[in-house]
Amino acid sequence: MNRPALPDRPAPLDRLARLIAFAARTHAPHQAALLRIGLGGVAAAFLLREWPHRRLLYGDRSPWAPDMAAQVVAEDHRFSVLLWSGGHWWFELVYHGAIVAAVLLTLGWRTRGTSVAFLVAVVSFDSRNPYLGDAGDNALRVMAVYLAFTRCGAVWSLDAHRRARARRQRRPAYDRAGVTLWQALGVLLLWVSDGFPHTAWAAVLWAFWAAHGLWYAAQRWPRGRQVRDLLDAATAMLHNCAMLVIAAQVCLIYATAGWYKVQGTLWQEGSGLYYALNLDYFMPWPALAGLLTHSMLVVFSLSYGTVFAQVTFPFLLGYRRLKNALLAVLMLEHLAIAVVLGIPFLSAMMIVSDAVFLPTSFLLSLGTRRPPRRGAGQPAVAGAPGQRYRTRRPGVRFPQAAGRAR
Amino acid sequence: MAGRPEGDDAGRHAHATARVCTPRTPVPDVPGVPDDPDDPGAPGPVWSRPSLALLTVTAAVLLGAALWHLALVFLSIAPPSPVRRTYAHAIEGHVYPEFAQDWRLFAPQPLRANVRVEARLRTAGGSGARRTGRWTSLTAQDVAGVRHSVLPSHADQNLLRLAWDFYRDTHDRREAPTGARGALATEYLKRIALSRLAHGGRGVDGERVVALQVRSRAVPVPPPHWTARPAARNAPHRTLPWWPVTPDEHRGL
Repeated sequence: MNRPALPDRPAPLDRLARLIAFAARTHAPHQAALLRIGLGGVAAAFLLREWPHRRLLYGDRSPWAPDMAAQVVAEDHRFSVLLWSGGHWWFELVYHGAIVAAVLLTLGWRTRGTSVAFLVAVVSFDSRNPYLGDAGDNALRVMAVYLAFTRCGAVWSLDAHRRARARRQRRPAYDRAGVTLWQALGVLLLWVSDGFPHTAWAAVLWAFWAAHGLWYAAQRWPRGRQVRDLLDAATAMLHNCAMLVIAAQVCLIYATAGWYKVQGTLWQEGSGLYYALNLDYFMPWPALAGLLTHSMLVVFSLSYGTVFAQVTFPFLLGYRRLKNALLAVLMLEHLAIAVVLGIPFLSAMMIVSDAVFLPTSFLLSLGTRRPPRRGAGQPAVAGAPGQRYRTRRPGVRFPQAAGRAR
Repeated sequence: MAGRPEGDDAGRHAHATARVCTPRTPVPDVPGVPDDPDDPGAPGPVWSRPSLALLTVTAAVLLGAALWHLALVFLSIAPPSPVRRTYAHAIEGHVYPEFAQDWRLFAPQPLRANVRVEARLRTAGGSGARRTGRWTSLTAQDVAGVRHSVLPSHADQNLLRLAWDFYRDTHDRREAPTGARGALATEYLKRIALSRLAHGGRGVDGERVVALQVRSRAVPVPPPHWTARPAARNAPHRTLPWWPVTPDEHRGL
């Protein structure tokens, strides 16, 4: 089977082309969509839960007065939209706008713009009072920033539905509403650009805006096929890098939580959980905590189990079956923690972060189990775009990368 | 290169990449009709050599940036080390404040005591007579809010708890501020206590608030019954000095 080497095609170039084909494919779109839905859902639920306390926590009645917040924002080179005006109605507008952004992000409506608006909102709330958030708020902030760089609206979103419809009808999807929104965001950004002093945020937001505009322009341009492909590839690469960073970030969370616990004598002797369960601030149900902490063996096993799971998490990711079992255990543990320690939003954030590692086949099977959509009268073209994800069987791997096809 | 018609390049290298990338299924190229960019099974486009070069550079830059970011985040949460000290400026500049993180909840040791924060007011009546109120446990109010709540609020679970941590971290044992943030921490704690104890600048008796005092005590968690460790004795109160209260400090509360 010795083929004569073609002088025109050196092997390194061949390999490079394969590598680029791999890098330019959007990996893990379902995991990104799940992260989007999770982050938006957690943030919306949090803002709704704190609605009665909103002025005390982030508004004009906060003990962390606006002038104190402004001082820290300036010193730390932060920004907070909430501090742009001291008026009560501005606060209400931003608070409810943040809820709307979170809901729209969950639904996947114009995700490119919504994810950036969500990021601005989350960072704004965090900067309004940096001494209020716990690890859950911390994870939400970090993940919200990463999410804006992913293609989180590629599947399971209103955007995807719109694109699929356009494809089915073979009509151009200029998305006039999207372009109008983009123009409006440009005007808005121009108006508020000085609201981000001493930070790179204005530049980042303008870069997002410009890239999005370039995308629309390339879509309209009749000869823009190559530009579109290049933009598509670069966007996919950015998405892939962001997903890599998100995955590594989750590993860092578990690794630090686990490795620092290993150094503590209370965790070494297996009674760490006993003390955690006896803190008044984390004891919504004293009877439940009492029940759990009564038995030495239960406390010991749960303490050691927690530390084991956290420490081994990054290393077990390579073993598919073990990883999935570990994910199930961790998610159950977070559910239990949400109730027993009374930190539901932190637990929800950790479950959402864990979900990034769920296997695609499992996520697809979640999709197939949904009841059939109305309008099933549409011709069920095999492999019709838009139907693809729903019709795949769990366990079926994606077709080989284009670059690997012979 | 850029000015050359695309067709030329593509023609010259189509042969070169033909085996590498399956040719795109012939789809009529209607401008604006989205391909399925999210379809991982779709064959990728055939790249011309300049495009390939451009994408390679893009990939390298993006991957480099991602790894650089991860390295700095890792260093920012790793234990102190010479590397961290040497590059402290670069790490801080990149990570803070957007990517700042701390995942050491209950690590390396969970707290072994419940910190209780109490406060009292000093008020001045119309005749100028000073009166000192009773100690009120602010923590008890929080704990009551958390108790039997499915979704505890940050107002109960975090506000005072983290404000006290903030104060403790920015003051020494003689209650002198150790950094630039000390004054802010004092002001924050004072305003939290005022928001709980005073109403419109007045104490419960309707008299004007002139000063406020905070104290705290760590009540040890009794060790588990299966250990031989003796129960720690209650530590004495950490009593902070009286802080004068000006009308301005009630703003917004």
